[in-house]
Amino acid sequence: MINQLKEVFSTLKVHKDGSNQLDSDYKWFATDKEEIIGIRNDELTSKDVSLLTTFLTPYNVKFPTPTQAERNWRKIIYSTDLGEKDWKPSHPFRFVYFSFNKNQIEPLLFKDAIEGLFDKQVPILWENEHEGFIIEQQMMEEESISYEQIIDILMSDLYVKITFFVGPYKKDMEDLTLYYHSLTNIAKRIFHYTTKSVLTYVEAIPFLLTKQTDEDLRLDISKTILQEYIHDEETIHMMDTFFQCNLNLSETAKVLHLHRNSLQYRLDRFFEKTGIDIRQFQDAMTVSLALLARK
Amino acid sequence: MAELKLVNVKKVYDNKVVSVEDFNLEIRDKEFLVLVGPSGCGKSTTLRMIAGLEEISSGDLFIGDKRVNDVPPKDRNIAMVFQNYALYPHMDVYNNMAFGLKLRKFKKDEIKKRVDNAAKILGLENLLNRKPKALSGGQRQRVALGRAIVRDAEVFLMDEPLSNLDAKLRVQMRAEIQKLHSRLQTTTIYVTHDQTEAMTMATRLVVMKDGIIQQVGAPKEVYDEPDNVFVGGFIGSPAMNFLNGKLVGNHFVMDDVKLLVPDGRLKVLKERGYDGKDIILGIRPEDINDEQVFLDFSPETKVSASVEVAELMGAEIILYSQVNNQSFVARIDSRFNISAGDTIDLAFDLSKAHFFDKETEQRIK
Ligand SMILES: Nc1ncnc2c1ncn2[C@@H]1O[C@H](COP(=O)(O)OP(=O)(O)OP(=O)(O)O)[C@@H](O)[C@H]1O
Ligand SMILES: [Mg+2]
Repeated sequence: MINQLKEVFSTLKVHKDGSNQLDSDYKWFATDKEEIIGIRNDELTSKDVSLLTTFLTPYNVKFPTPTQAERNWRKIIYSTDLGEKDWKPSHPFRFVYFSFNKNQIEPLLFKDAIEGLFDKQVPILWENEHEGFIIEQQMMEEESISYEQIIDILMSDLYVKITFFVGPYKKDMEDLTLYYHSLTNIAKRIFHYTTKSVLTYVEAIPFLLTKQTDEDLRLDISKTILQEYIHDEETIHMMDTFFQCNLNLSETAKVLHLHRNSLQYRLDRFFEKTGIDIRQFQDAMTVSLALLARK
Repeated sequence: MAELKLVNVKKVYDNKVVSVEDFNLEIRDKEFLVLVGPSGCGKSTTLRMIAGLEEISSGDLFIGDKRVNDVPPKDRNIAMVFQNYALYPHMDVYNNMAFGLKLRKFKKDEIKKRVDNAAKILGLENLLNRKPKALSGGQRQRVALGRAIVRDAEVFLMDEPLSNLDAKLRVQMRAEIQKLHSRLQTTTIYVTHDQTEAMTMATRLVVMKDGIIQQVGAPKEVYDEPDNVFVGGFIGSPAMNFLNGKLVGNHFVMDDVKLLVPDGRLKVLKERGYDGKDIILGIRPEDINDEQVFLDFSPETKVSASVEVAELMGAEIILYSQVNNQSFVARIDSRFNISAGDTIDLAFDLSKAHFFDKETEQRIK
């Protein structure tokens, strides 16, 4: 097909792996074989472009050129041919969704930063100019990178607000398309419900479940459980923190800059008023869901 | 050179939480300004709006003369240091400091010049080839500062940079950051929840609560003249005591306990119409004395109190006691053996005390 196109468009060229940035004098397309071809802008009419897009995918020059690995991943995700899915990665992997503020930094800059962070090329699948997935192979325990730890330093180097949604590890390609779509789906909604900028799949589950419930029931639950505390932001902040600290009193007191005893006292008060003791797992879980339902 | 100005700045998050409101503040060139307040009061939100990491919902932010609400963070000429002093694990100290500049395609020798300079300032010259794993907490924190210094920015924004360090290191790094500031003279906005840190480091401090500025001033000013009950209680340790009572004639009265109010204070209270009204007395633990001279000198502000707990702190004793069923804390020299259960006489130095409106909790002045 490329050769046929070349006869029509003399400036057509195929992009080779490795050279980083695509020339913006060219309009770029991806073929169904995941090759990237470019045709000089001055050789294209708008009619040509619409015609070409019927069988080629336009390729945004702002994105870093996809590497072989990135093209493979994309192929597997979009392929309906199950044969493709026989390919097995050598290590378990996970998709890590990222998003940063629009129009503040170039995708290429982000890619450089991620490569710096991992000290090697890491496949990145771009959704658009400010969102996408990092595909991370599981590394030895000591080498694995905590997004929670690293997000601040990335933000201070990149000067942009970033969020990460960290998918669960996966060992094979089975249902990869589903995995990919479900992560995309969750990632795009989940950050409305949390103040955190890094969230894992596991942490996101309670959010997702409560959001499935209809609003009336949600409000009813949160009112019934939280009672007069429903608008008491200070107590709610305290409970939130207590859950984030794994029900550890000392840790919570430290984070809240409170004395441990006054924290005890406040939890006792909550217990007296509501009959709920959030130091107990079951009660903690219920209150934690009620807090989510309230949002 | 950079001054900053925030005018009516407000932040409402997606979930409708109003996190900062009606924020008006001018930050002077070269100033070391500290934002201080309890957890959740909006300190980080304010800082992140200045950085540009959070959008400003309404109001204006100026850096120098320029309104920067819509200027992306990278063009604001700021450098940030966060609480989390994690570094890039695979990079050595040199590259951790250089990375931000490399991303911005700075020339190699310019990068080297800046990193070497920062390393010298921070005493990191011999650690440049170390990986983060091989650094102590204090060293990592210094690298984090170095990462900001190499930016050559007009403004430093620091969000609780020391709160992950242990107490001893924190005190040490506090001093280092102050030294750094007096050397570089970079306008700095520093966030902490720790009032001691705020008091010791700030040129001026901003006390916040529930997203609203409570008071702005030099540490001593805020300490000596708190605008309201919250500020009085938040700044200073042990905290200011608050006692509920009534102004009757010349006395602050708590049922059968009567304390004579000095003339100056009395005049203000009467002029403001508080005679016969409920008011709050605020007095710092160090303004409650047990020395005989004081007791002799001020018989009309003498209270006989029974000691509940006496904590010996070395040079002083912290006494927990009650008057008229209201708890208070006193801080006295540890000359005597005082123990729980003792009854002692204490003189309240009302010339140093403050009075607050019972309803608004504002200081009456
Ligand atoms: N991304 C967010 N989405 C929604 N609400 C948020 C978000 N970030 C912070 N908040 C809320 O805004 C308020 C102020 O938070 P902020 O983090 O600025 O407080 P802080 O003073 O820095 O507290 P701390 O001392 O705990 O760090 C809190 O009620 C918090 O829950
Ligand atoms: Mg904060």
